[in-house]
Amino acid sequence: MKEMRRNNLWQFREAAGVSGTDRFVILILTLAGIISIFNFAEWWFRGEHISNLTLFIILSFFFWYVMFRIILVWLNYLKLNKPGSVPEPDDNLSVAIFTTSAPGEPLGMFEKTFEALNNISYPHNTYLLDGTRDPAFRALAEKNNIIWMDMVDVPGAKAGKINEALRRTDEEFILILDPDHIAFPNILDQTLGFFRDGKVGFVQVSQGYYNQYRSFTARAAAEQTYLFYGPTQMGLFGYGSAVAIGANCTFRRKALESIGGHAEGLAEDLLTSIRLHAEGWESVYNPVIVNRGLVPEDLTSFYKQQIKWARGTFEILFAELPKVFTKLSFWQRIVYLYISTYFLTGTITLFFILVPFIYFLTGIIPGKMTFVDFILHGVPFLVIATLIYSYVQKFLCHPETERKFHWRGMILKFSSWPVYFYGFILSLFNASIPYLPTSKKALIGSITVFIRPLILYSVLFMITAVAVYIHRRYYLPESELSFTAERVWGMLGFAFIAFIQSIIGIFAALETVWLKEDEPWKKVDVPMINNDIKS
Amino acid sequence: MIKHSLKRILFTILALSVGFLIVTGLSFLGNKSKGPLENLFSGTARMVQSIEEKTILAKRENKRADKLKWYKRYQENISLLMNPDDFFWGASDYHSVESYESILNLEDSLWITFPLIHIYTAWGSNPEHQFPELQVKTILRLGSTPVITWEPWLSAFDEKEYPGIPKVEERDKGCLKEIANGVYDKYIVKWALAVKDIQLPVFVRVGHEMNDPYRYPWGPQNNEPQDFVAAWRHIHHTFLRNGVNNVIWIWSPHQSYGHFKEYYPGDDYVDYVGTGVLNYGTVTTWSKWWSFDELFGNYYKDLSVFNKPMIITEFSSLAVGGDRAEWYVDALNGIQKKYTLIKSLIFYHISSDKTVTDKSLDWYIINDAEVLNAVRAIISSWDKNN
Repeated sequence: MKEMRRNNLWQFREAAGVSGTDRFVILILTLAGIISIFNFAEWWFRGEHISNLTLFIILSFFFWYVMFRIILVWLNYLKLNKPGSVPEPDDNLSVAIFTTSAPGEPLGMFEKTFEALNNISYPHNTYLLDGTRDPAFRALAEKNNIIWMDMVDVPGAKAGKINEALRRTDEEFILILDPDHIAFPNILDQTLGFFRDGKVGFVQVSQGYYNQYRSFTARAAAEQTYLFYGPTQMGLFGYGSAVAIGANCTFRRKALESIGGHAEGLAEDLLTSIRLHAEGWESVYNPVIVNRGLVPEDLTSFYKQQIKWARGTFEILFAELPKVFTKLSFWQRIVYLYISTYFLTGTITLFFILVPFIYFLTGIIPGKMTFVDFILHGVPFLVIATLIYSYVQKFLCHPETERKFHWRGMILKFSSWPVYFYGFILSLFNASIPYLPTSKKALIGSITVFIRPLILYSVLFMITAVAVYIHRRYYLPESELSFTAERVWGMLGFAFIAFIQSIIGIFAALETVWLKEDEPWKKVDVPMINNDIKS
Repeated sequence: MIKHSLKRILFTILALSVGFLIVTGLSFLGNKSKGPLENLFSGTARMVQSIEEKTILAKRENKRADKLKWYKRYQENISLLMNPDDFFWGASDYHSVESYESILNLEDSLWITFPLIHIYTAWGSNPEHQFPELQVKTILRLGSTPVITWEPWLSAFDEKEYPGIPKVEERDKGCLKEIANGVYDKYIVKWALAVKDIQLPVFVRVGHEMNDPYRYPWGPQNNEPQDFVAAWRHIHHTFLRNGVNNVIWIWSPHQSYGHFKEYYPGDDYVDYVGTGVLNYGTVTTWSKWWSFDELFGNYYKDLSVFNKPMIITEFSSLAVGGDRAEWYVDALNGIQKKYTLIKSLIFYHISSDKTVTDKSLDWYIINDAEVLNAVRAIISSWDKNN
């Protein structure tokens, strides 16, 4: 069964088209959702709810910041769009495919990557931007008729190599592929046609994975991307703001040259995307699965990838966005603000999980609302948010495997708060982290330091729970027991949710210990990849 | 072009209305109707409390309720409370919204455990105007019986939630007639049903000092005595009609403003006659150092014609203008013989009382060792209960 599902992954997929009915349903739900949020806000901001003014303001700010982001997500869905049909590419376009190699990346993986690249039907030149100093890589490339370029001493990480390769080549279109991504034969047929429109600067396609069944972390990390590569990007496309993220983006050389080459930095793809938009280039998002790659299997690699992204996107927020802000369209501004503040979630989570402890230690509560009232007033919003969440899952690229409640992804997002918070602090002080390539193989046995805050939190929770019980059992005057029961156990319940998520996060980190080393690409049968249009 | 935009506008309006309907439906489910969801969630909150009661409170040693074992037969029996063969002490303290520690401290100082705890609550549509379930349940868990002064202030009713009620500025004039006519029944019924849930007997003192023209909106400046009687009877009927049988009704005029008979709702509607006895001493221009007999004794005869057990709902003296300890000794010595109908005294134990004067008055006796010693001596001389 599992095997069958895995094989199923190597079938071309595309997200469902958007009908008038879909738009109508989403519009209704969004309006309902916004009204429910207004009702909720009307209740929230009552003077009688303020207990400690400072804390109430911070709590309200964070809470309504999160709610505001949810509204933006909904508004984004209003413009869900999928290109009507993929234009047939002109003949004889000159196309290059760049893929990179870095020290430590397994040679075996490249065998599959190269084999798949050679199967791509549209004529193209493939280049290996080799940074390994390992003659075996050159030998393997040349055996596969791939043009080898030595990039060992080229500075500037991946983007530096791409820019160097741009200088040495002259193809008009460049598809950049990460080496772990195994392309489908029709990948170029799904992108090149869009360049008929001379204003289009880049075409992004979806990004699938084939190793998500390997571990909890892998499943969770994959789950986090499903909505993004489905309805989210489709909405962004509708607003003329589809962004280039990760690999699998096809660029027009002229576009890259107009911004002085591929941007360099920790979130270089996003940076390139924002500069191209600022320069007036348009972007296309085509929700098709025409390649599958690897998602981090162990928490250490995942966190390394995330700290890089967190630091990089904050850098965009602080350094790049102000520079180009006026050149962007209204929606592009909102989109890039939204994306570049995404990792604030770590700081916000930290505040929320501290609230119960502030209460237990000092007796200070931010708001006087009771838990019963809070849940009661939040229910309409929660129901509508769930309805929208379920409805837009219709537009996932591969609903068969992706359509579900992405609880793993949510928990992983929660338990990444130390990483995101750290990324935010680094950015505040403009401190750098070293460039860390995302591990392509599970780092067996190495447990990330970023789970220490999770362990600390869990221990703190258990001590607090015991202390609260002892206090109530032996010390709290009986005349005060029932008055504080709802609040105390409510707070503890709130902390308990965070505790459970921390425990699962710790479990995900420990999973590394028993994760069997594997080379998932060995099981990929490249000739079996199925191009047939089937949705 | 026009056709196209018309289509879009219609589309949007349609979506807006459907969205509005959905939310209205949901809000109805979740908010206004206080229906199944609220019951579910408040049920959960109650469950947490009852679990705590079983797993924490029940296991404690030296529970307060144990000290009130002698009172248990009264706490559970409304007819015993209505025809008391014993004397019940009590206290009130405004600090008792989230804790009864200040009252418990007072009783520790007096070497007594109060069978009655007196709380105040107002009418209205906000959360704090609902039946004080948590406070009442806590009092019962502590082994006592709650005495609730239920004040019909009407300004805090929200017109949206109570359609048909008069505008705020017109609400006080003739308010008792409105109550008698059922305008506030929605609130009264809800409150009554909450009392019913409590099951154990509860003292309720509604519309107190209705004969004082200077204090409360339900006084004679806005209403006729017969309206008070009608309102009282209406409330009483409403409780009975909803099957609420655990209320002991305290009818509580101000002793010095008279007209008792005009305001008396009738023997079938009243279980206790109550009044406050507060010695303001020389703190205000209108007061003197008056003894208990001066404040109460002169009116006792007029109040005893109703032949109902009596409760002194506020009993206290300030310190300025005389010897406070002596005032208490004087008041309490022989009180049961002199005023045989008095079955209960409730200490008015409030540290910052601004209800009558602009100044904040301190009625606390807990810091006054002389008073404590004197009162303690009298209580233990009566001692048969503890």
